[in-house]
Amino acid sequence: MPGPKKKRRGILGALALIAIAIGLYWGLVVAPPDAYQGEVQRIMYLHLPSILTAYLSYFLVFIGSGMYLWKREKRDDLLAHSAAEIGVLFTALTIAEGSIWGRPTWGVWWTWDARLTLTAILLLIYTGYLMMRSLIEDQSRAAVAGAVLGIIGFLDIPLIHMSVYWWRTLHQPPSILRPDKAPWENIHPSMLTALAISFVGFLLLYFYLLSLRYRLGEMREEIKTRRLERSA
Amino acid sequence: MGPWGFVALAYGIVWGAIAIYAYSLKRRYRAAAAELERLDATEKNG
Repeated sequence: MPGPKKKRRGILGALALIAIAIGLYWGLVVAPPDAYQGEVQRIMYLHLPSILTAYLSYFLVFIGSGMYLWKREKRDDLLAHSAAEIGVLFTALTIAEGSIWGRPTWGVWWTWDARLTLTAILLLIYTGYLMMRSLIEDQSRAAVAGAVLGIIGFLDIPLIHMSVYWWRTLHQPPSILRPDKAPWENIHPSMLTALAISFVGFLLLYFYLLSLRYRLGEMREEIKTRRLERSA
Repeated sequence: MGPWGFVALAYGIVWGAIAIYAYSLKRRYRAAAAELERLDATEKNG
């Protein structure tokens, strides 16, 4: 019999699949093509949810890292480590989607635009975080070094967000989440619905993966402790 | 490549990569769960 946590995780996974399926249908079939970009604009229903999910993930790395440095509790470090792994996945996907979207709209797969470059730096920081953690043998030292990098790395996110205002960039400024207008005033209601459903699907999927990765970390800790106890 | 080609490429890469990651995570999870069960059985048998 699966435990209550496993059961909850199963329900979360099923809900994620349902939301993703509805989001795909809405984004690819129901929502109209963009007046200027045509069908390629549909990549937005992946691009925006994946970068927002990555930001959420790094926010959890930031919180977990700060809490670990303060209280030195393993569960905070485990949260940060788990969130960093999934954050790297979603950042890499954001860059890949952006590149595919950029080719037909900008005419290039990649350009050293401020927002793109800062996002690539974000990916490098957290890939470095994961590599560093696997290279340092002493677990508590790896956790402290990871926590410091996890906090410093998070500072890149406000820079990414503000880059389209501070520098002349090829990347457009926010067209939906603007400070001067409500989201529904900037976009066709059907497009906004597709985006919202897709975002909910990404969030549910994210928490499903995070819960699985966190539990994996807990089990690995338990295995290590029990092996040490047996050998002592 | 036409506009739908770019859309298909983006959706294919994203869902393909997520499926591969979820599969690899599940595999690591099952391996750790099996190892814990082995440890339980060894401790039970003394």
